[in-house]
Amino acid sequence: MEINILQAVLLGICACLSSMPGLGGTTFGNYTLGRPLVAGLVVGLILGDVKTGIIIGAAIQVIYIALVTPGGTVSADVRAISYIGIPLAICAVKGMGLDPDTAQAQSMAAALGAAVGTLGTVLFYGTATMNLIWQHIGWKAVKNGEFKKLYLVDMGLPWISHFIFSFLPTVLITMAGAGMVDIMKSYLPMDGIAMKTLFTVGSLLPAVGVAILLKQVVKKAVDFITFFFGFTLAASMGLNLIAAAIIGSFFAVINYKIMMLQSKKTAPAGPANDDEDEEDI
Amino acid sequence: MKNLSKKTLNKSFVTWFYGNLTCFSQEHMQTFGYLCAMLPIVEELYEKEEDKKKAMDTYTAFFNTEPQIGTLVVGMTAGLEEAKANGQPIDGEAINGIRAGLMGPLAGIGDSMIVGTLIPILLGIGLGLSSGGNPLGAIFYIIVWNFLMWFGMKFAYFKGYELGGKAVEILVGEKAQAIRDSIIMIGTIVIGAVAASWINIHTSLILPGGGELQKTLDGIYPKMLSGAAVVFCWWLMTKRNISPTMVMLLLVVIAFVGVLAGFFDPGLSY
Repeated sequence: MEINILQAVLLGICACLSSMPGLGGTTFGNYTLGRPLVAGLVVGLILGDVKTGIIIGAAIQVIYIALVTPGGTVSADVRAISYIGIPLAICAVKGMGLDPDTAQAQSMAAALGAAVGTLGTVLFYGTATMNLIWQHIGWKAVKNGEFKKLYLVDMGLPWISHFIFSFLPTVLITMAGAGMVDIMKSYLPMDGIAMKTLFTVGSLLPAVGVAILLKQVVKKAVDFITFFFGFTLAASMGLNLIAAAIIGSFFAVINYKIMMLQSKKTAPAGPANDDEDEEDI
Repeated sequence: MKNLSKKTLNKSFVTWFYGNLTCFSQEHMQTFGYLCAMLPIVEELYEKEEDKKKAMDTYTAFFNTEPQIGTLVVGMTAGLEEAKANGQPIDGEAINGIRAGLMGPLAGIGDSMIVGTLIPILLGIGLGLSSGGNPLGAIFYIIVWNFLMWFGMKFAYFKGYELGGKAVEILVGEKAQAIRDSIIMIGTIVIGAVAASWINIHTSLILPGGGELQKTLDGIYPKMLSGAAVVFCWWLMTKRNISPTMVMLLLVVIAFVGVLAGFFDPGLSY
């Protein structure tokens, strides 16, 4: 499968918009276009295969379901995962003749996406470092009272950083990468150790994504019960995610009521508490 | 008496909504986004260039928080700046004290509630709707997430502007704590379901008696290996303090050894 120059350019623009610090803004850029699930749809539209795009985007999304960047440190770069990793994974899955809707194809996509995403952190630090130049111009503007220039510094000049660290790498790698699949096919047989390991890694990786998320909410072993409650709903009882979310909400309401009752016990209800009383009826 | 117009406040909000991280650097993370968001406010409140400069100078201090929940702080400072321009006893230093004091706690709440809980819940539901390559899941996420954030952030901005310091109570009061705790509960349950639906770890090992180990394990507890892998990764990261990237590399080693030992075999050929 080939990626032509027009498709690569479109992917490159999406990469500029979607990264953290992206030019689509935090909410619509990083947290919408940058999420692999959404990128699967966007890349699928660009490459003309929405179905494969969504399946692969969803498979990669599980690994990065909790991509928090506390204090601006990243362990993976969304522009690389979403707009370099997903196109390459689509090419690889199609080039190898795998059915995208199988666990094997999704493992392959997960492994590729994670590898590209981790390498992509270089792009994050590159962009952030280059922005220092624009900020330097900004400080001068503040000093001289030319405040209008701040808009240019905040929203205009970073396009240059993104041209170098988002647009170019995406265009070059996606165009070159599409041909790599044939080389892989001829040198790495599917039943060899390397490919077997690659597919196995892909099946293990989503566990890391889920564990990163649990790191915040599970402090001791007992806290795992809530997690395994949801796990059992899906694995043993066969419920889908919407059904699980509704059952989760039911328990959350109970939890809320218990907590409000507790707080009332500890602090005897005074006249100031009347709005809390309404909640308990 | 100077009063900020609705138009100016909206301009300030939209500027922050879009530009909070566009000129990010490790040194001054959201400072330039903040400066741009305050510019319309300062330009309307002060006539003299000198006063404008003095006011803008306040916001050159370092700022970084979870930018979506941090909208509350931007709204608050708009209110405080207005009070300052009307001669109330507030100075730039006091404003910066409030900003610096809120940055950390709000980042904690925003990272755990928005990025760590709300987004995973929405993505989890989106993943559920995506089976078989259905674009509905992605469309659901795009619409619901952006709708919630646009109106949620707008609400936070204007609440911050109206209530000033009291706005923080909405986020840290007892009731807020109970709501947060309950929402995290939904998030954890959904994540459990996501893990069970999307992690597929299988072993190809044949037991000495001729039975498949995978079938035996599924008989004990369905998807046991997938659940165990999550607990193992969690244990490495929290109890052993290993970074996610190192955990991923460790999994490569485990996969390699597992393949050699015949424990894992994806069973594919061209």
